[in-house]
Amino acid sequence: MTEKVGAIGSSIPRRGALDRLTGASMFSADFRLENPLALRAVRSPHSHARVLRIDTEEASRMPGVARIFTARDIPGKNLTGIINKDRPLLVEDKVRFVGDPVALVAAETEEAAERAAGAVNVLYEVLPAVYDPADALANEAPLIHEKGNLLFRRRVVRGDAASAFSSCAVVVEETYRTSFLEHCYLEPDAGAGWVDADGTLVIIASTQNPHYDHSEVAALLGVEDGRIRIIQAATGGGFGSKLDLNMQGFIGLALYHLQRPVRCVYSREETFIATSKRHALIMEMKTGAGKDGRLHAMKCRILCDTGAYGSYGIAVASRAAVHAGGPYEIEHVDTEVLCVYTNNPVAGAMRGFGTPQVAFAHESQMDLLAEKLGMDPFEIRRRNALRVGSVTATGQKLEASVGIGECLDAIKESYEKARSARSDRGDSPFTCRGVGIGAMWYGIGNTGMQNPSTAQVEIDLDGAVTLYTGCADIGQGSTTVLAQIAAGTLGLAPDEIRMIVADTKLTTNAGATSASRQTYISGNAVRDAAAKLVDVLLTEAVDLMKVPKNSLAVEGGFVVYKGDTDRRIAFSKLAARARRKGIPLRWQGYFDPVTSPLNPDTGHGEPYATYAYACHLAEVTVDITTGEVTVDRVVAAHDVGRAIHPEGVVGQICGGVAMGVGFALMEEFKPGVTASFKDYHIPTANDMPEVVPLIVESSEPTGPFGAKGVGEPALIPTAPAVLNALSDALGKRIYHLPANLERVLEAANKRG
Amino acid sequence: MIEPLKTVPISFKVNGRPVSLEVGAGETALHAIRERLQLTGAKEGCGIGECGACTILVNAKAVNACLMLAAQMDGTSIRTVEGLAGGGSIHPLQKAFLDHHAVQCGFCTPGLLMSAAALLKEHPCPDRRTIADGLSGNLCRCTGYRQIFQAVEAVAQGEKEKTQ
Repeated sequence: MTEKVGAIGSSIPRRGALDRLTGASMFSADFRLENPLALRAVRSPHSHARVLRIDTEEASRMPGVARIFTARDIPGKNLTGIINKDRPLLVEDKVRFVGDPVALVAAETEEAAERAAGAVNVLYEVLPAVYDPADALANEAPLIHEKGNLLFRRRVVRGDAASAFSSCAVVVEETYRTSFLEHCYLEPDAGAGWVDADGTLVIIASTQNPHYDHSEVAALLGVEDGRIRIIQAATGGGFGSKLDLNMQGFIGLALYHLQRPVRCVYSREETFIATSKRHALIMEMKTGAGKDGRLHAMKCRILCDTGAYGSYGIAVASRAAVHAGGPYEIEHVDTEVLCVYTNNPVAGAMRGFGTPQVAFAHESQMDLLAEKLGMDPFEIRRRNALRVGSVTATGQKLEASVGIGECLDAIKESYEKARSARSDRGDSPFTCRGVGIGAMWYGIGNTGMQNPSTAQVEIDLDGAVTLYTGCADIGQGSTTVLAQIAAGTLGLAPDEIRMIVADTKLTTNAGATSASRQTYISGNAVRDAAAKLVDVLLTEAVDLMKVPKNSLAVEGGFVVYKGDTDRRIAFSKLAARARRKGIPLRWQGYFDPVTSPLNPDTGHGEPYATYAYACHLAEVTVDITTGEVTVDRVVAAHDVGRAIHPEGVVGQICGGVAMGVGFALMEEFKPGVTASFKDYHIPTANDMPEVVPLIVESSEPTGPFGAKGVGEPALIPTAPAVLNALSDALGKRIYHLPANLERVLEAANKRG
Repeated sequence: MIEPLKTVPISFKVNGRPVSLEVGAGETALHAIRERLQLTGAKEGCGIGECGACTILVNAKAVNACLMLAAQMDGTSIRTVEGLAGGGSIHPLQKAFLDHHAVQCGFCTPGLLMSAAALLKEHPCPDRRTIADGLSGNLCRCTGYRQIFQAVEAVAQGEKEKTQ
C-alpha cells in the first residue's frame, strides 16, 4: 500500500476547529428549534426509598406545562444499561441514589418546567441505605437490587502467589483508597429533538456512542429501529460519562408522546447529581520481590463501589483486575475484584476504567519495594518491565509493540537530572522537593469482548471520496485522524476526504468512543474500507495500463505507474469504468481486534489485541506549613505505536497530565455534599506544571499504520508519579487520593 | 405600592452593531446574548462564574456573562466570539489557536479567546506566568492548557515583531 506523504504523522489543522473558534459550531444547546418544549426531570432527594405515589395533578395544571411523564408512560422496556440492564429511565418502584429520576416535565419554558418539577408530589417510604461497599456485602445489608449487592466478581490467577511470597526477599502490603470523581467535561449534558415528516424521531445529542443511544431509545419506546435517528452534535468532552444514556431517553419519550420539538439541557448542578462518577476503589495489595528486585508475586483484593446501578462497573472491575500488576512481569498473581452496588451515585466509565486507580496502588508498591531493597525506583521498574515475549497475568504472550522499556529509557536522563537537582536545592526550611515515577500499561479496546467497528468509503464519478463513520469525536480528534488514515490509504490529502460522522441514519456502528479504541479499531475499519476501494481502482488501471498491479500506486487522485509516474489515470475515469461494469463504488470496512474471553475462574485469556504503555516523571515542591503541593514539571513518555497526528497526541498527553494532577491532589466528589464547580475544583491554567511530552513509537503490526491509542493512557501515570514524588519529598507516603492539603499536611507533620 | 420592574429597555452595541432590547429584570446577559440575539458562541458551562465558558468583552474587559444582568449591558459595547475578528478575516488569536492545536472539544474555546484578547490588550508581551494568570478563570478539561499558552505567546510574539 502506498502511503501518502503528509497524511500520516502530520499535524494538520483539526477538522471542525475553525467553527469552534468562530462560535459557529452547533453544540446541543445551540440548536434553535421552532417552539420547543423544555424538559426537566424530577429527581429523588433520597438515596434509598420506595416510591409509594407520584402525584402530578397539581403540577400538570400549572401554566405552561404540556405533560408530566412517569414510568407508566414508557411504552417499551424501562431498563437501560450498556453492559447489564438494571437502570430505569424513570423509576417506578424504588429510588436507589440521590438524583434517581422519578418523573419528567415537558413545559413551554425552562422556568415553567422547573416550577412544575418542584411541584410534583412524590410520596416516599425511606429505606435503610448503604454507602460503603464492604458494608453492602454484609448479610444484613439493605438489598439495593433483587439479585443482591454483588454485581460482579473478576478473578485473575497465575501461578501460586501464596507460596511464592515465602521465597521473596522483600514483601510490602498496603491498602490504597481512591475517591469518586466527577468528569467535568465543560459542556453539561444536552440534547434536542424533533419528529421528521416521515415520523422518525430525530435526537441531537451530546454523546460518545450514538449507535448505543439509538438501540436504547428504540427499546425504551418499543419502536422499530428505523423510527429513531441519533445525530451527535458538537460534543464538549465526555471522558466516559457521555457513554451512558443521559438525556437521550427523556427526549425520545417526549417526542414519542407529544410529537413536538423538545430540548433538554442539564445545568452543571444536574450533571453533578445525575451523571456517573469515577469508581471509588479500596485496594489491598501485597507484592513481593527477590533481592535482585525482580517481582515474584502479587496478591490483590479490590472493592469497587459502583453505586446505585451497573453502568460500566463490570468493565471497570475487569480492567482493574487485568491491569492490577502494572506493566511488569510477575510470575505469581492472585487478584480478585468485587464490584458492589451501594446507594452512592452511579459510578461508570471515566477515562481509564479503573486503571488510574490500580496504577496508584501498583506504582506505590514499586517504590516501597525499591526502598526496602535499597534500589533506585527507576531501576526496579526497568528490571521488571514487560517486553516482547513476556507473559501477562492472564496468560497472554505479548507478541509485539511493548514500549514500556523505551518509555522508561526516554525519561531516564530527565530523571537522573531531577534527582541530583532536588538534593542540591533547599531554598527554604518550609518547602521540600521530590521526584517520582509512575508507569502504566493499558489494553486497547473492550476487555475480552468483541468490539467491532465499521466504516464505508465511497468514490463518486467525479473522483471525490467520502468517508462514513459512526465514530463520535468528543474533542479528542478522531474525525481528523480517521480522515488521515483514509487519505493515507488512498494517496489523497486529508482535506480531500469528505466526511459523514456519527449520524445513525447515515453511518454504521463504530462502537463507543471509549477504551482508547477509535484510532486502533475504527482506524483499522476505515483502512479496510479504503483499501478495498483502492483495490478496485488498481484493478481497473491494470486493465487499461497493461502493467502488473504491484507496479501501480495511488497518488493525488490518480493511479500511477511506479516506474514512470507520468503514466497515470485519474480516479474519476477509473470510477466511471468500474461503475459501467456494476462494480460497487462504496466499500464497507470492518475490524474487530483478536481477543479471547477471560475464563470466569482464572481470568485467563487474551483480553486485548494490543497495549499502550507510558511512564511519567513528576517533580514537586511541597510547602510543609500549608500542605500546598506545586507540580513543577512532568516528563511524559507514551508509546502510542505510531502518532498519526503528533500534535493531537501531545494535546492528549497534556490534557491527561492536567486530569492526573487533579486526581492526585484536588478532586473528590463527596456524595450528598459536592454540588457544583463551587466545591469541586479541577486544575486551572495556574495549576499546570511544565509538561514535556515524549512520543515513543513502538509500531503495532496490527494497527493502522502502526498506531495504537493514547486517550486514556495520557492520564494514568500522572497521579502515581506525583504521589511518589510527594513521598520522596516528605519521607512519608499518602495512601488515599486525593492527596489534598489536609492529607499532605498530616503526612508532613508525621515526618521525622 | 410600586410594582417591581418586569422588563427593562436597554440599548447597547454588540460586535459594533447597535441593538435595543426589552430584557427581563432578572435575566442574565448570557441569556439575552444566546437566546435573544442568537449569538451562541458564548457558552453556559456552570452558571455561577466558575468556568469562564461564557466570557465576553464588556467595554474591552473580560466578564463572565452568566454573572452579569442583561440590564447592565445598557450603554456598553459588547464583543462576543462571533465579532472577535471584527468583520474581517480571522482574528490572530483564532489563527494561532488553530495553528497550535489549542482546540479540542472547543466548548471552552470562545471564552478562552475572549479572555486572551483582554489579556493581550492589557499585557501585549506577557510571560508564561502572566498568561496563566490571565486565563486562570477559564477552565479547560481537555488540553492541559499548554497549546493554548503557545498560541497566546505566538500572537504576542507576532505583535512584538510588527512593532519593532
